[in-house]
Amino acid sequence: MSTATARMRNIGISAHIDSGKTTLTERILFYCKKIHRIHEVKGKDGVGATMDSMDLERERGITIASATTNVSWADHSINIIDTPGHVDFTIEVERSLRVLDSAVLVLCSVGGVQSQTITVDRQLRRYNVPFMAFVNKLDRIGANPLKVRDQITEKLGHNAVLMQMPIGLETGLKGLVDLVAMKALYFDGPDGEIVRTEEIPAELAAEASALREKLLDAASMFSDELTEAVLEGRPTEALIRAAVRRGTIARKLVPVFIGSAYKNKGIQPLLDAVVHYLPNPAEIHYQAVDLDAGGAERALTPDAEAKTCALAFKLEDGPYGQLTYIRVYQGSLRRGDELVNTRTEQKIRVGRLVRMHADAMSDIDEAPCGDIVALFGVECASGDTFCSPGLHLAMSALYVPEPVISLAITPVDKNAADRMAKALGRFTKEDPTFRTYVDPESSQTIVQGMGELHLEVYLERMKREYRAEVRAGRPEVAYREALGRRVDFDYTHKKQTGGAGQYARVIGYLEPLAKGDYEFASEVKGGRIPRDFIPSCDKGFKAAVRKGTLIGFPVIGVRVVLTDGNYHPVDSSDIAFQTAAQNAFRQFYPKSGPQILEPVMKVSVEGPSEFAGNVFGSISQRRGMIVSSVEDGTFSRVDAEVPLSEMFGYSTVLRSLTQGKAEFTMEFLRYGRVPAAVAELLMEQHLERQRRDGRK
Amino acid sequence: MTLKIKEELVKRSPLRVLERSLAGGLGKGRLGVLASRKGVGKTACLVHMAADKLIQGKPVIHVSYSSRVDYIITWYEDIFKEMDKKRGMKGALAIYDEIVRNRVIMNFKQDGARTEQVLRSLEAMIVHGNFPAETLIVDGLDFARTGTEDLERFKEFAARLGLEIWFSASLKGEEPLFDGSGVPVLLGELMSAIDVLITLRHQGQQVQFNLVKGPGRRVPKALGLRLDPTTLLIARTPATRRSR
Repeated sequence: MSTATARMRNIGISAHIDSGKTTLTERILFYCKKIHRIHEVKGKDGVGATMDSMDLERERGITIASATTNVSWADHSINIIDTPGHVDFTIEVERSLRVLDSAVLVLCSVGGVQSQTITVDRQLRRYNVPFMAFVNKLDRIGANPLKVRDQITEKLGHNAVLMQMPIGLETGLKGLVDLVAMKALYFDGPDGEIVRTEEIPAELAAEASALREKLLDAASMFSDELTEAVLEGRPTEALIRAAVRRGTIARKLVPVFIGSAYKNKGIQPLLDAVVHYLPNPAEIHYQAVDLDAGGAERALTPDAEAKTCALAFKLEDGPYGQLTYIRVYQGSLRRGDELVNTRTEQKIRVGRLVRMHADAMSDIDEAPCGDIVALFGVECASGDTFCSPGLHLAMSALYVPEPVISLAITPVDKNAADRMAKALGRFTKEDPTFRTYVDPESSQTIVQGMGELHLEVYLERMKREYRAEVRAGRPEVAYREALGRRVDFDYTHKKQTGGAGQYARVIGYLEPLAKGDYEFASEVKGGRIPRDFIPSCDKGFKAAVRKGTLIGFPVIGVRVVLTDGNYHPVDSSDIAFQTAAQNAFRQFYPKSGPQILEPVMKVSVEGPSEFAGNVFGSISQRRGMIVSSVEDGTFSRVDAEVPLSEMFGYSTVLRSLTQGKAEFTMEFLRYGRVPAAVAELLMEQHLERQRRDGRK
Repeated sequence: MTLKIKEELVKRSPLRVLERSLAGGLGKGRLGVLASRKGVGKTACLVHMAADKLIQGKPVIHVSYSSRVDYIITWYEDIFKEMDKKRGMKGALAIYDEIVRNRVIMNFKQDGARTEQVLRSLEAMIVHGNFPAETLIVDGLDFARTGTEDLERFKEFAARLGLEIWFSASLKGEEPLFDGSGVPVLLGELMSAIDVLITLRHQGQQVQFNLVKGPGRRVPKALGLRLDPTTLLIARTPATRRSR
């Protein structure tokens, strides 16, 4: 491992909405001298935080696309990926987690562990990312870092240990006590840039040593040396740090740091902690799939001299052309290197190599092992692996969820149409959960995404960045259809009146499939259907399930078993069997008692307990099922399962029901059966649409 | 199909034994308490009782003062898994997804959750949330800090909304835990508000159910039920099985 790699950290900053993550990132950039002035997120100075490079984010005060940026602190190079907080953009969070070695989980010292925190924690767990916690907003009324530490332990099940304690709280917040060095820290100067170290105030000494005891107890679990030193009564800072580091990297300990980014308190110690406790790229074991060895897992070596393996995890179409964010897992990346995209087997030459800082960039000649940089002018898709020639590795694919909501959009004029096409082309390349297609029946452009806000943001961006004015229809839910029960089919397709005839007969059954969307099996014996035509049948059924007969949505969970059939030596053909299969499905599927399925979302609402009744009511009105409610003093959280179709406009409703004091998050859970009354309504609407299209 | 599974599960449930001893069940507007030392298996019993109601299609609110929601959900899953393994109870797992729709879990932090506040939230769930609960399971209420007036409030609530409420009471501290008539010392002063009291006590290797207070009688009586130590399911004691 090179010193460059040892002195590198790739960190993500993850949090619940409004935990002050972007403010924190902004302070980090400032103290690392990447920016010369601090801008607030909801910019009163009209500039906005540096990491939110898109106008829209500045306006809404949320962060959408993860921008990576590189900073230097204490002789270490830190790559920071700023991740979005809203669930609609989870794909962004997941993509960044995939390439990070560790994370800082930001929590609000009032709100503590919130629904999104739990989602992020689950993602960190999925990718095995070690992390430390930063309890922010100590200046706010009701701040209680001890409570938040307890919540990390109880609600998330982590071994959380306070590394610092506050000196004063809320408006009286003065500074922090570092429980490792046992010193008081104050942050002086107009922007808190001068860290002043003092003795711990006498009145806090007892509490500080009690908390330090806990810290030593927890850290000793990871170091016999420290245990011994503690017994002898002389644990050194270095021993404590080493032990905490070991525990953190093993994900068996979560060190908790505290502060107030807004008040410029606690940021420099947090940066020190990133260097002290979070792993360098070589300390994390990465695996790749070896395509030469039949897909066996293979450990990557964080060696700069080894053959290169790198992952393109994000694409961005900027003003200078396509920018590809790439993480080097093995070997290094030099300008002029030749690499192979293992998916397409295309060779590329590394041209311009840049290090990113939010909006600006600097050219570099080489990226050492573990680094995250960007390439110019490389054609690829997000998730592609690049290797040195001779190496055929694939980093496991990123998990991409299916979109659950769609919207028809119509450009207002010809100019807008061109610009819309351009915008859509870019958005779909950047974000695999955002998709678009033209509906063959209505010839309308349909966009699909992960939620209302997700689509809204893209429509806004279209307007702002591309000046593409579009009219949007009502959002539509991605319904599905499903087979009710097993049904036998026997269908003969015959057209033998003059000219070349068509003949095909298919016999078999359709049955519900518990896992997966579609499966085809042939049990045809004795050449009753010639072997060449079996795939034709498969093709026909596959085409048929794309559009169910109830409401025209795809049919999922279908297993087709072909048992018998018949053919004609002259008139049977590929197309005849495809048609027979399609028609067989259309004729017999309705006889299975088919059902309409709708996406059901997992919804979490959080807010003051006094509004719980209103929240329960609003969920019950939306055909929702309340799973649980948790009341913690005056704060409560309701978890429920609600059909997506009922969730449109919920944010407005919730705001008015709770005086704007509650917030909600939702994510796709499963497909569930639509109640009979709703199903009837949907079928009527479908018929109506068909009649209308027919007339046209 | 599922209807038949449910019928069978209801018929075979050892809880029918309990119902017979209570002359049909706890009943609306009444409070029942399941008391034992910590770690004997009260939560498992309550979850089993709730599961029995759910299988009958009766909505249940599970109130917990201690456990995390996901732990409680796991309790239910485990109970159904264990039932599924029993002879004649096959299919319990198959109906699980359907019947849990009739269950809401409500979690309160012990300190700070006053009885009025808890009842207010429960009422909100039943009335505004349109959740027609018939049974309330209250697990982990600290009876050392609960007075008669708290229980009277629960009772008034139960009567007004037509519910029956089962509590668990954890007994801790110095021996003796029970007085001469088998009533836990901790609950002595609350007995006026309690309609049914069942204690769980170790009898050799077994955990036996004793009815200490019930309809019309105050004499302690063995219920003919025990807790299976491996599955944590309520089961008939071998003696009653023979007598059937």
